[in-house]
Amino acid sequence: MSELALRVRGLRKQYPNVLAVAGVDLEVKRGEVFGLLGPNGAGKTTTLEMIEGLTEPDSGDMDILGLNWKQNGSEIRARIGVQLQSTSLFNKITPREALTLYAGYYPKSRTAVDLLELVQLTDKADAFHVTLSGGQMQRLALAMALVNDPELVFLDEPTTGLDPQARRSLWDVVRQIKAEGRTVILTTHYMDEAEALCDRLAIMDHGTVLTTGTPPELIAQLDIPSVVEFSFEGQAPAVDGFARRIGSEIEARGDLWEIPTRDPKTLLPKLLELAEAEQIPYQQVHVRRATLEDVFLHKTGRSLRE
Amino acid sequence: MLLWRQFLMEWKLYSRDRAAMFWTFAFPVLMLLGFGVIFKGGDAPKLSVVWVQPVQVQAKDEALLKTLEQFPTKLIPLSAAEAEAKWFRGETAVQVEPTRDGFHMKVNSYLVAQGQMTAQVVQQAFLISQSQLQGQPMPKLIPVSMESPGHAKSANYAAFLLPGLLGMNLMSMGLFAVGMVNVSYREKGKFRRLAVTPLPKWIFLMGQVLHRLTITLVQTIFLLIVGRWVFGIQNQGSYLMLSLVMVLGTACFMALGFALSSFAETSETYAAISNLLFFPMMFLSGVYFTLDAAPKWLQQAVIILPLSPFLKALRAVFNDGAALTSHLLGLGIVAAWAILCFGLAVKRFRWA
Repeated sequence: MSELALRVRGLRKQYPNVLAVAGVDLEVKRGEVFGLLGPNGAGKTTTLEMIEGLTEPDSGDMDILGLNWKQNGSEIRARIGVQLQSTSLFNKITPREALTLYAGYYPKSRTAVDLLELVQLTDKADAFHVTLSGGQMQRLALAMALVNDPELVFLDEPTTGLDPQARRSLWDVVRQIKAEGRTVILTTHYMDEAEALCDRLAIMDHGTVLTTGTPPELIAQLDIPSVVEFSFEGQAPAVDGFARRIGSEIEARGDLWEIPTRDPKTLLPKLLELAEAEQIPYQQVHVRRATLEDVFLHKTGRSLRE
Repeated sequence: MLLWRQFLMEWKLYSRDRAAMFWTFAFPVLMLLGFGVIFKGGDAPKLSVVWVQPVQVQAKDEALLKTLEQFPTKLIPLSAAEAEAKWFRGETAVQVEPTRDGFHMKVNSYLVAQGQMTAQVVQQAFLISQSQLQGQPMPKLIPVSMESPGHAKSANYAAFLLPGLLGMNLMSMGLFAVGMVNVSYREKGKFRRLAVTPLPKWIFLMGQVLHRLTITLVQTIFLLIVGRWVFGIQNQGSYLMLSLVMVLGTACFMALGFALSSFAETSETYAAISNLLFFPMMFLSGVYFTLDAAPKWLQQAVIILPLSPFLKALRAVFNDGAALTSHLLGLGIVAAWAILCFGLAVKRFRWA
């Protein structure tokens, strides 16, 4: 059995007005949780849908569990589990029925009772799916992705639109899926989610993979482990003169100044002294370690949230 | 097995939409009751003539009125003002006004078919009344009886209508219900979840065909029961033949809906395409009236569309008790549509 659950080379998709995916290479090892992190419109979903066989790529090679779409379409479908970005089911079907119905499409399947328990939907088993909350619907979609006991599971933005508590409970299910030995590929635009769940990540923007690695590796690559933040009331003032005098790069974003540094211990007293001298009207200062957000900012010059 | 489960699930989910289900079964029955009652009158409908009452009634006027009573006409005597008002409301087909030395007759150009026929009758009555005035005896009229072209028992319009309703119902189910549902489900992304499973498309489509086939069966039974109880209509042919024609028709129109739905991206486009097919078929294929009066080329063009040969075969069985062997060509056309469309549908069907 191959070490890799997925290998993708030169995947490309042109839509009439936009080059959605411009040559993506990916390698995902068996048993890991792999994340595609990037802002909306980065090409994550299109990439995922090409791998899932929903969208035909213009070019590129894919090796999925040692199989390919041209020769082994139905075998791939039997062995992968897919949670779409939005799962729209037929009207008036209950979670139990949906799971039983979909289980019937596969040669191998798990029982609805097991799956409902796994995603904590047992008490909603017989409610029409239209009555489920966003979080419950996402958990049902997750359960449906697991109905065929898949080796490789795709989750497209599994927690988008959920409240913090619902997100955490979904994270627990993802960890459970990994613990069962399955490979998980997920997309997200939440860096905390990527950090919390993913063994490895590919950061995507404008249809290409900017960088790949484990979250600590990616942050270490930045070579600026810390960030000093000055927060202001309202819009942060211009940084030009201050940055020159302190001899450091400063990013003004919204109500923040962000000053990346390798050595916060030396920089901080100097910063505070100069800020005092120049009467900079900041409200608070704090020092934090660099995050994936900073990695993204560094690679693209834009924030993930923008 | 998979097909059976798919079929059961279709029914289960369908049965939860009570309102849709009710109308699916009630609509054809209501249509039959409505049209059947409107046209029930056992006698031939009378031709109505507005008679403008003259200020002074002359002998020629009385003679014409008397003769007209012998004809299947309904006389509506009105004053000049009333007659004018009725005429301008567009309700009058023919108006006869006695003048000093004769009569004047107006025919409504909007109601030309009814009007011309009535005018002919009035002309004849006039000639007869003239000869009577000149002292000649009343000539004997040719007796006319109303009979149905089919079996003696299926004498009324409802008997003609019932197979037409069955056919139109199949067509609207195929084109509107099945086709529209598929387009809107695709549009809303409801098929995408199925697309990532190994479920073969043909099983999904076949599940729907079987589901609709059973709906048709129930609708047909309802219509037959109501037709029999209310209008005394009976199937003159064998029920086996009737079932065969209905199954073939259902398959044909379902497949047509599937195939058509693969050509539309949005429900709006689909509505336009399906109407483009539905209305010509409905009006040209003899659901409500026969096309005998239409130009020859049109009659021949219409036979290529599946509804017309389907209805011919259905009426032959239902109204005349004919065997299907006399309609092999028509049934062949229907079967050809079914096979071509289903093949096209499976080939072109997209989940997303």
